[in-house]
Amino acid sequence: MKRASTYLLAFIAGAAGAIVLLSYFLDLPYLSDISQWLKQTAVLLSAAALLIGLLNLVGVHLGKIGGQEKGWAYSALLVVMLAVTFTLGMLFGLDNRAVVSLFRYVQLPVEATLIALLAVSLTAAGYRLIARRPNLFNIAFMVSAVVFILGSAPWLILPGLAEPFGILRTWLAEVWAVGGARGLLLGVALGSITAGLRVLLATDRPYGD
Amino acid sequence: MTVLGGLGLFLVLIFVFLMIALALVERRWPARFRSIPAFDALGGATERAVEAGERVHFSLGTGTLLGSETGPALAGLSMLTRVAEAATMSDRPPVVTAADGALVILAQDTIRSAYRRVRAADRYHASSGRLVGATPLSYAAGVPAVLNDEDASVHLMLGRFGVEGALVADAGQRKQTFTLGGTQDIQSQALLYATVENPLIGEDVFAGGAYLNAGSMHRGSLRTQDLVRVLIVAGVLIGTLLKTFGVIP
Repeated sequence: MKRASTYLLAFIAGAAGAIVLLSYFLDLPYLSDISQWLKQTAVLLSAAALLIGLLNLVGVHLGKIGGQEKGWAYSALLVVMLAVTFTLGMLFGLDNRAVVSLFRYVQLPVEATLIALLAVSLTAAGYRLIARRPNLFNIAFMVSAVVFILGSAPWLILPGLAEPFGILRTWLAEVWAVGGARGLLLGVALGSITAGLRVLLATDRPYGD
Repeated sequence: MTVLGGLGLFLVLIFVFLMIALALVERRWPARFRSIPAFDALGGATERAVEAGERVHFSLGTGTLLGSETGPALAGLSMLTRVAEAATMSDRPPVVTAADGALVILAQDTIRSAYRRVRAADRYHASSGRLVGATPLSYAAGVPAVLNDEDASVHLMLGRFGVEGALVADAGQRKQTFTLGGTQDIQSQALLYATVENPLIGEDVFAGGAYLNAGSMHRGSLRTQDLVRVLIVAGVLIGTLLKTFGVIP
């Protein structure tokens, strides 16, 4: 019985994927319609999955609150704020002033702070990289990063250096970086194709056995 | 069918043929792949975590299963299968986090399947797969708490990451976990290269299954990628030479 359900799931996943893939190559009206319907269904299921994910999030944090685990107060705050935002959004819509204010005065500043933290994190990471693995590639990586910063930043002192660093930055970006990025993109594209085809062929079954 | 459509279909069929053929070849004559330090170190790190009763944290990133982010998400799930199987011996199953509900459900299914295969389905818990935040930065804000609360000593990142990937990686570094990370976005790869102890570059992101012995099809896929890449590079070089010498306009 279990084996039958595995085959059935594999068949449904493979057939749905094959129909969508073929619709890009074959100009058949029915195929295109079915493909469109499958894609719309996927978007709807994805939205439903987000709700299930939110329930999972609430479940995990309620468990922490119930067990008085480490950081349970943060979990309580999360659950309360989630409930408030969700209720306001459902009752008054996303354009409501309170909902917009929650995003503008809570979500946005917190996210902006995290982005600002990124600059500090990356500086520390650059130091750690050289300290941990002081090889030629990592030194070249860090030197390139410094040249990029010097070539992009305004030179308030010694403004005459802005032009040579700008030229060096452009040369690095348009020759070395673009060349390397194309090579990496080629590898990523080929990897994406084989990962997708393995699911279509049911050798990879992320939907479980 | 247009000419481009026909060509596309032909290329997909060539890919499928090569993958199957090279997977069959792989069973008889296994290839030796180059060493990728991140994968070489992963097995030992997972074993140490299992023996020490610590947890493996697997981040599937901030992408979704729809659109161009599907590739790294599927690669992450493939690798999760192997990592989950390796960690089933532990009292504490791996914890998987994502910023997409569908990915969380698939991660739960993957872990559940790993437990079923070792006949320990009763040890699976639904909280092994978690939605941490629905936006990239809220996800990045939530991961440090998971690492700390779950006492994770292995921090694996495989999926779609933007700039927030650096923050997610930094959380692992601060906790001194074994950190491995890879993504499909080129700019984010540069960030992860600096912030992750064991970075995966380019197609390494998709090589996890082959390097962790997920089956001959994974190894066949990797050989297909290598073969097609050589053909494309040869085509580009020949085209460049022909254009340089004026053979083609």
